[in-house]
Amino acid sequence: MTIETIKQTSALVVAVSGRMDAVTAPEYEKKINELLDSGEVSYVVDFGQLEYISSAGLRALLSTTRRIKDKQGCILLANIVGNVKEVFEMSGFGSIFPVHATVDEALKMLPG
Amino acid sequence: MIRIEHLSKNFGNLSVLRDISAEIEKGEVISIIGPSGSGKSTFLRCVNLLDRPTSGKISINGVNILDRHTDVARVRQKMNMVFQAFNLFTHLTVLENLTLAPVKLLGRSRQEAERKGHDLLRLIGLGEKSMSYPDELSGGQKQRVAIARCLAMEPEIILFDEPTSALDPTMVSEVLSVIRRLAKEGLTMLIVTHEMDFARDVSTRVFYLDEGTIYEQGTPGEIFDNPCKEKTKAFIRRQQSLYQRLFSADFDLYSLNAEVESFCSRHLVPLKSRHDLTLLIEEVLQLYCASSSSFPIDITVNYSEKTGQLELLLESPPGSANPLELQGEDYALGLSIIGNLLQDRKFTHSENRNILKLYLKNP
Repeated sequence: MTIETIKQTSALVVAVSGRMDAVTAPEYEKKINELLDSGEVSYVVDFGQLEYISSAGLRALLSTTRRIKDKQGCILLANIVGNVKEVFEMSGFGSIFPVHATVDEALKMLPG
Repeated sequence: MIRIEHLSKNFGNLSVLRDISAEIEKGEVISIIGPSGSGKSTFLRCVNLLDRPTSGKISINGVNILDRHTDVARVRQKMNMVFQAFNLFTHLTVLENLTLAPVKLLGRSRQEAERKGHDLLRLIGLGEKSMSYPDELSGGQKQRVAIARCLAMEPEIILFDEPTSALDPTMVSEVLSVIRRLAKEGLTMLIVTHEMDFARDVSTRVFYLDEGTIYEQGTPGEIFDNPCKEKTKAFIRRQQSLYQRLFSADFDLYSLNAEVESFCSRHLVPLKSRHDLTLLIEEVLQLYCASSSSFPIDITVNYSEKTGQLELLLESPPGSANPLELQGEDYALGLSIIGNLLQDRKFTHSENRNILKLYLKNP
């Protein structure tokens, strides 16, 4: 799994690529926790290059989202396609998280 | 008609056939199927005495053909064989190929043998090829001539040793249709074949050979639709398997994924199925990891090249629980994903192992 971040006016865009599974999900949690500790509270997570996600990845998403909300922050998910989209649908995550078609669309939802 | 008792054949230290017994009645069509190297052709060659059995007894109409005093040439006149490689005489015309043995061995007149030869060539649809040489024929035509040559000897039994294996796929059906026709006419036939649909259509009984023996036999319906034994099932479904053992909850997921990916690549498992299988394995193993008594776990992935069906079998120690019955918020997501990936599941307890069988949906 690779995580890249790009600072935008309204949020930090976190682009996750590769696999988000039982082995790599803790890396995602660690990265978001570090960013939260540095003061970032608004996130758009770009899953366009994510090839695989398991329940371990989904649990990491849930726990980091709780921490972000605890800090009155927000997180939007974008670009969920292919196998990852299917896993979101079969786990019911699609209805829990607001999912946006593109990163730009998600950024527009946030106050500039 | 044919009675085979305790037939064995060794080549040096290699035991190819082991204690085979079978009875074949007049008019029966027996298809002999099984993996390569299972002894199918050797079995046929032993029945025709092209290979001398190491031990056992073969009787044709009550005559022990392994008896030293038996006239082997006479036995072969009653029981003729069609080979994979045609074995026609290339320097003789098609008609001469058909008339040589009846004249020389049966004492027929040339005129009578030729008349019969023409009849047989018409029967197999090659009436116009009587003056052609084998090299002027296609593979399918050559094999039909080989069958006609066999019939010219008026055998009571015909043995076919993979009669279509050397043929271009476009020529297989013309040969099979000739054999089908002979089956309808009531000839006794033993056919070694890899053509499963043909074996199902034409046979009265099917022998599945494996481990040098008739591992399972039955009607085509029994063998092809409802085989009883594991190896027969695997063969019929063209099943490929991958085995892995995980010793503890600290197993290497990526090493396991690499094995699964390599297995899927080798057997051309569709990409969507590969993804679903990988996801299923991870999710189920995460549930097993909740209990340390679950290890070691033996994992088997079965893939049917025939149906595309993927099965995942997990065998764990007898004290381990069914992971799909775990309760609690921590497991809900994984269970939900697993539930969506499966078309069926079975959990069975046995004395030594608990077995969880998971059948993936076929996308």
